[in-house]
Amino acid sequence: MRSTISRLQVIHSLVFSTGPSLWLGMSIVTVQLGQCGNQIGFEVFDALFRDSHCSQGLCSKRENEAYQASCKERFFREEENGVPVARAVLVDMEPKVINQTLSRAARSGRWTYGQHACFCQRQGSGNNWAYGYSVHGPKHEESIMNLIQKEVEKCDSLSGFFIIMSMAGGTGSGLGAFVTQKLQDQYPSSLKMNQIIWPYGTGEVILQNYNSILTLSHLYRSSDALLIHENDAVHKICARRMNIKQISFRDLNQVLAHQLGSVFQPTYSEDGSFHYRRNPLGDLMEHLVPHPEFKMLSVRNIPQMSENSLAYSTFTWAGLLKHLRQMLISSAKMEEGIDWQVQPPSSGLPPLGKMSAHKDPHFNTSIANLVILRGKDVQSANVEGFKDPALYTSWLEPLHAFSTWKTQRAFGKYEKSAALVSNSQLLVKPLDVIVGKAWNMFASKAYVHQYTKFGIEEEDFLDSFTLLEQVVASYGNL
Amino acid sequence: MGRRRHRVEGVARALPEAIAALSRSLPAGPSPEIFRRAKFDRPEAAPVLWQLLLRVLSPLGANDTLTDLAPEAQARVVKSALDSQGYPRSALVQFPEGSSQRSRELLLALSWLLARGPFLEQLLAQTRVQLGDQLPQCEYEALAIPGPLGPHVETESPMDLRLVEWLMGKLRFRWRRLISSQQEQCTLLSKIHLYTRGCHSQKNLDHLSVAETEMLRDPESSQQLLQALESENVRLGAALEWRQCELVFWQWMDTVLDACLSESPAVTSQPTVLPMVSEHGCGELELVKQELQALQEELREVAEPRRAAWEAQVGGLGQGPEWSTTRRALQEAVRQELAALQGSWEPSSDPTQPQRPHRLVRRKDESPGPQGLQAAEMIRTLSTQEAGLKKALHQLQSQCQQELARLAGALPGLIWIMVPGH
Repeated sequence: MRSTISRLQVIHSLVFSTGPSLWLGMSIVTVQLGQCGNQIGFEVFDALFRDSHCSQGLCSKRENEAYQASCKERFFREEENGVPVARAVLVDMEPKVINQTLSRAARSGRWTYGQHACFCQRQGSGNNWAYGYSVHGPKHEESIMNLIQKEVEKCDSLSGFFIIMSMAGGTGSGLGAFVTQKLQDQYPSSLKMNQIIWPYGTGEVILQNYNSILTLSHLYRSSDALLIHENDAVHKICARRMNIKQISFRDLNQVLAHQLGSVFQPTYSEDGSFHYRRNPLGDLMEHLVPHPEFKMLSVRNIPQMSENSLAYSTFTWAGLLKHLRQMLISSAKMEEGIDWQVQPPSSGLPPLGKMSAHKDPHFNTSIANLVILRGKDVQSANVEGFKDPALYTSWLEPLHAFSTWKTQRAFGKYEKSAALVSNSQLLVKPLDVIVGKAWNMFASKAYVHQYTKFGIEEEDFLDSFTLLEQVVASYGNL
Repeated sequence: MGRRRHRVEGVARALPEAIAALSRSLPAGPSPEIFRRAKFDRPEAAPVLWQLLLRVLSPLGANDTLTDLAPEAQARVVKSALDSQGYPRSALVQFPEGSSQRSRELLLALSWLLARGPFLEQLLAQTRVQLGDQLPQCEYEALAIPGPLGPHVETESPMDLRLVEWLMGKLRFRWRRLISSQQEQCTLLSKIHLYTRGCHSQKNLDHLSVAETEMLRDPESSQQLLQALESENVRLGAALEWRQCELVFWQWMDTVLDACLSESPAVTSQPTVLPMVSEHGCGELELVKQELQALQEELREVAEPRRAAWEAQVGGLGQGPEWSTTRRALQEAVRQELAALQGSWEPSSDPTQPQRPHRLVRRKDESPGPQGLQAAEMIRTLSTQEAGLKKALHQLQSQCQQELARLAGALPGLIWIMVPGH
């Protein structure tokens, strides 16, 4: 009996000190694809890490530790030397960007990528979606999926995957679509969210529209949620709000990482307790994307100014939320230049199934929204404005369409900050534009041979057009 | 004369004792006084009986998760549960929701449940205190009834299909999360079993379960466990007592039924199911046999003309020697299909199916012992079941597709675009 008790003391220290990963939460494995995915992925992990180790916190030490531990379990894992390792797999067809990413992480000394977490080839193969999807994908499927499997095995419990990729690029996008499909097959009960970079409207790649529609249509079938980051929007934020003169990709990526961090860092779980939410990815998906036709999500955050300017500003929750609400309603990409004229339809709800005749065409109808509040006095923040039924489509009540996450712990140096993840019509116009352009090209069969020679047939194009037209129509009919 | 009075008095004493034993064996059982009031259809007895029925009929009810439902909603759950069990009396179902009414009907419903089968034993089995680790069970037995889901929507007004799809999607997500958390649970169980190897006093078990580990780690929880075991003991004792003296209860229930029938003879119902006291077992069997014969007769009557018509159509085809291989292949195919059908109809009296809960034990050696069951075998059984269910699903899906194709064909010029990913 005595030996049993002493052995149990050993177990106690083993199981129950590392064991609380049980209630720390479930982990997310990130797959970084291509140049875009890898550069952004680095900024995301860096932003998450820096925030969780931010001394400003504005909350008690104990709470800060709980916050840190929760973030850490979700996105990082421990190695022997104590340096946190990102739960990530890096994939690219050429080594340059991956090497840059790895060395940046290693140099920071704060966190690092896993030693064997990369897959890359000697040289790239041109900007070809079809090549990425039909050639690279199947050829390297086993190696890539093995890497992912190894990372998954190091999670005590897996919530799901982030897949960071660009939409319009060549090999990265095609390969990304392929990998997402394989993840669907191999991990059917895990959740998948694709972080998609929407290209500049005036992009330079001729084939970007074709690539975009192929990527989107494939992801729509195999992913659970598409969280879309528009380069145009992020660029504007950098230019106007952050006063950056020479905007580099790094600046864009940092803004994007900030947005993602403000969504996925720990928040209190639903019952108002001070325990952190175990599975934000799952909760988010259940609230926002259960309907298979409506999977496109946008993110907006406020305040958007750089951390350096913060010292000269104070915010109130009322002000922040008012702006955020108007950004939602008027489809504003950023905090400045918001159109305050746009208002929700005034008199009550339209009868079921009928479009409201007096609806402002600029008004953005939402299906579901999630608002995330971080910082001082968060309990006093009033989100009633977001519960207005007029904001939402007629078939879903605000009770089920709107949810809020909160934490008192501030994000970075922002004493108060709010983020909005929205399933609404925000992306319909951009999507429609891309589909239109792609269709015009396709109608004259321009460049189609670039795809057919690697196994993407005209019929695949047609399927993609059909699916996306359906998505545009569904969102349009809200 | 005196003897009869003595017997009546004996019965009068035995009845409250029987009801008290019954109530002690039920979870949150009401007092004998409630039963008496219910016989006379008194309103004060109704809410208690509604609560009791809710508790015993819904698996969620056992966890107090339904207690904050409105009384009308509780009544709805109980009625749908009774309905799905085949409760024959329409009196309860027909009348509008009202939590202070129908206490006599509720009493009849409760007795019907008790009479039908090992209801009490099933209830007791549900709340057994388990010391070992169990497999995460996804299925309940006959007591599994879907409880109320999220938002209540009136079905009279037209509902948007998109809302239905939204809710279905949420359900699918929750299923996936359930599976993920079960996987998580398995990983952690495995860890605990590994870490506590050699700690158990019983050599054949070798390692501790979660409950045992918790007990050793935190003495408080062992107190709770003890209390749970004690209360389970009380219920089991009460159940045994009840079995001894239940006859007197059934005699009394006959009087309740008589009272009911005499008051409202217009309310007819299906022939009430006889209480399943063991002597009446043969009678039931006879009934079933007769029904089976009637069904076979019906089948023959329908099959014969069809066969004759088919033969007339086919004529002399398929008779010659050149048809023998085809015929043999056909016979083989039919035989396989019949075997599959039979397999899917067979009750799960598979010996490898656990009749009672098994404790999860991690072992180095291969032999599971006389009572044990190897995981590999269990997995095989479950895989066969899964394959059977998948096949059935596939069949149903193809039926749906055929139906859809038929509908689509009926409307010329209409193009159907299937939603992706379905």
